[in-house]
Amino acid sequence: MDLLLAATCAGAAFVLLILPAASREGAAAALRGTLVSPLAVLQEKAELSRRAFLAHDAAVRVADSVTLRSLRLVGLEEENERLRKLLGLGAALRWGFIPAEALQGRGLGDDFTIPLSAGQRAGVAPLSPVVSAEGLVGMVERVDASLSLAILWPHPDFRVSAMAADGSAYGIIAAHPGTGASRYFLELRSVPVRSQLKAGVLIVSSGLGEVFPKGIPIGTVVSELKTADGYARSYLVRPAVKLPDVTSVMILTPARVRAGVDNVWALGTATDSATKGVVAAGDSLAGKARPVPRVRRDSTKPAP
Amino acid sequence: MNAAKGIWFAFVFLLLVALQYTLRPVLAWRAPIDFLVIALLLVAVRARPGVAAMAGFVLGLLADSLTPGAFGAGAFAMTVVGFAASSLKAAFFTDNLGLNGVFVFLGTWAFDIIFLVAERRLASTDLIVRIVFWSPLSAAVTAVAGLVVLLLVRPVLGAPRL
Repeated sequence: MDLLLAATCAGAAFVLLILPAASREGAAAALRGTLVSPLAVLQEKAELSRRAFLAHDAAVRVADSVTLRSLRLVGLEEENERLRKLLGLGAALRWGFIPAEALQGRGLGDDFTIPLSAGQRAGVAPLSPVVSAEGLVGMVERVDASLSLAILWPHPDFRVSAMAADGSAYGIIAAHPGTGASRYFLELRSVPVRSQLKAGVLIVSSGLGEVFPKGIPIGTVVSELKTADGYARSYLVRPAVKLPDVTSVMILTPARVRAGVDNVWALGTATDSATKGVVAAGDSLAGKARPVPRVRRDSTKPAP
Repeated sequence: MNAAKGIWFAFVFLLLVALQYTLRPVLAWRAPIDFLVIALLLVAVRARPGVAAMAGFVLGLLADSLTPGAFGAGAFAMTVVGFAASSLKAAFFTDNLGLNGVFVFLGTWAFDIIFLVAERRLASTDLIVRIVFWSPLSAAVTAVAGLVVLLLVRPVLGAPRL
């Protein structure tokens, strides 16, 4: 009986084996659609799990790379934005400036001075104002052949003759002699008692003294400072330029200082438009690949 | 075999079938464990040769349905192995663990040889390499897995009927 049953099964299997391919496929399909269906689903899931398991490490590596690149991208976007603003400033100034890079490597105790990548050969002179798209950065103190050293606005020796943007008050801007975070504020001193400024008033260079031309943004008034001085007021000023953002700057030439900067910073919208124009022009120029040094040399000469 | 043992046996059998379609693809070894052969041998040592042959035929058809090119080959091989294993269980299936391992090893290897010859897909060198190298390796791995299964189920299912 057992032998008969086994022979029947073996015979049936043998018949299945020699059936035409179409018939075998039909029988297999019938089984796959019924009995084997859940098993096929199980196998599919298992194989997917294996692939997912094997792909996990690669996926983690890809995710890490993407995260790292996105982090770098944020920094690049910020720098790009700063450079575009600077290009906008350059377009607005049109002439009389020397572009320079703020070189890294400032050490401890040297927080308020900065080496710049342009020197005497590029036309930099001592006491030249250093500006950025946001406003006044500092002043060139020493000039070498190819490098120069500038003091930044928090430097204890830094002074600018300043005024409220509407001309309602005049004074002297100097570093705020505080400690900690307040060290990174400015002070507007020697403001006449009759001139009262509200918080948020823009302070710009007044042009008196002929070191800084009139109209460079310095900061905004935060509050009045209590002083023992009875005949003058002092105000705490939030600087327009943040020190960590100082990477690319413009050094104004003496000729440009004498000629003034007119309303270069006054019209933010004009600067934005100039930025857009410069970006568009830059895209076109990139295709033509014009050399950059020529632009720098030309920028120091007065516009025709 | 009482009802409780019957349920346990069915559970273990279905579990082994499920492992064939879950654990085996996940492991994806070059010499894979054949859980279907283990399930068949588990039936073979507890059933008459005719029943074991029929179980082999059904299990073989299940496996063949997912490899239509060799449809019938697995059923044929499983039928032969099931019948032979059930017929020879008295000789092999003692309490000796080594002999049980040899039983599973030979059963798996025999299945592979019959399947490979019956499906007529491989020829000459490939067939020889498969039969002489990969099939014994797979059979050895299956034997180890089979012994683990036997050790696990023996307390529940008891000794096989000889």
